[in-house]
Amino acid sequence: MKAIERYSEEQLIIMLKQHDQTAFSYLYDNYSASLYGAIVAILPDVESAPDVLQEVFVKIWKQISAYDDSKGRLFTWMLTIARNTAIDTMRSKSWKNNKRNNELTEDLITGGVTASPNTDTIGLRKIVHSLREEYRVLVELSYFEGHTQDEISRKLGIPIGTVKTRLRKAIAELGTMIKM
Amino acid sequence: MDIKEYIQSGVIESYVLGLADPAEVAELQKLRLQHPEIQQAITDFELSLENSAAANAVPVPPDVKAKIFSELLLNSPKEQQAAVAPVVEMKDAVVNRYSFLRKVAAAAIVLLLGSAALNVYYISKYRSVAKENADLIAERSSMYVQKDVYDTRMREMENDFRMLADTSMIKVDLSGTGIPGKGGNSAIVFWKQDTKDVYIAGNKLPPPPSGKQYQLWALLDGKPIDAGMIGDCATICKLKNIPAAQQFAITLENTGGSPTPDLSQLMVIGKVGG
Repeated sequence: MKAIERYSEEQLIIMLKQHDQTAFSYLYDNYSASLYGAIVAILPDVESAPDVLQEVFVKIWKQISAYDDSKGRLFTWMLTIARNTAIDTMRSKSWKNNKRNNELTEDLITGGVTASPNTDTIGLRKIVHSLREEYRVLVELSYFEGHTQDEISRKLGIPIGTVKTRLRKAIAELGTMIKM
Repeated sequence: MDIKEYIQSGVIESYVLGLADPAEVAELQKLRLQHPEIQQAITDFELSLENSAAANAVPVPPDVKAKIFSELLLNSPKEQQAAVAPVVEMKDAVVNRYSFLRKVAAAAIVLLLGSAALNVYYISKYRSVAKENADLIAERSSMYVQKDVYDTRMREMENDFRMLADTSMIKVDLSGTGIPGKGGNSAIVFWKQDTKDVYIAGNKLPPPPSGKQYQLWALLDGKPIDAGMIGDCATICKLKNIPAAQQFAITLENTGGSPTPDLSQLMVIGKVGG
């Protein structure tokens, strides 16, 4: 990890909230590649990834006043923005494709999940792919495709309670793997 | 509550990854303030996730940073100067366009005010010129009238002159000399011998009182013959035709004349050929 060399996170947040351009440039230089990796891991096509990253940083700049450091670290907040933006982009594209191909949303979701693990998956997704299948599917659907537990329960035909406990275990295991 | 079990339940990771439901989030927010080890566990996982992301970082295409700064209209960072040059140009272009538009607007306002001022000036100018023109037209009309008057008068004088220059015209001087109180009076009678018409000119008589008029008499063998009333002639008045006379005289009579002269009111008298 590239450690913060010039600013402490506290300093950086204060400067960003004052819309300091130097701080923003520094933030980009230090975190853009990490966030880009997370975005690429989510998006099925890499082509739109630069646009998503651009959108993410524009949101960071514009929404920095909404960041509350008592809720979590700055990077966690930025990663959430990156994940949501990537999922939104993917969904708007799926929706367009879906409309064009006249396919059902169910087919698309199931297809995405049941497809054999992509060999060139990277980052967090690569870690997720090393989970056992029943955990992997849940993490894929929730974290990488942004479905609610209710939606997952319906799509997979698994009771909501089971989804909840199984996802919790999957994530606990994922956490352990990430910490290693 | 078993804190250790809570920490290991996966709720912290769910929270950090953004997968926890609102109830779980609220509970965790409360617990992290009460239990430092929960706070620590959260921070630990956040740092792990951050490290993991950094370890799985993917190089970003070099133009993305410039595009972001361009979209946000920020000044370019120094190290990206070349890449974001277009951003600076865009800003300048925008600034230039605004300043240009402002100049145009300012110029338009100046022109408008100038035009309004000119309009006021030209309207007042137009009014005064129109009035002058009307005055001149009136003046010209009155001059035409005056010219007609002069033309007429000149024609009359030409006629009079031609008449007086006629060789058949004889002149009879009438004078008040010898009549008490009428010494200054005088008049001239012209008598055309071929036509026997009588004219009178060059009256030096006081203006007649109202209700009175001067009357010319021809005297033939001591008998007075009415030769006509003297009106307001400009130059020479044509009176009656008198075939024969030895003298002419003028008396003051009631308006319209009398059949016989009031000799007490004799103004002038003159002898033909005298």
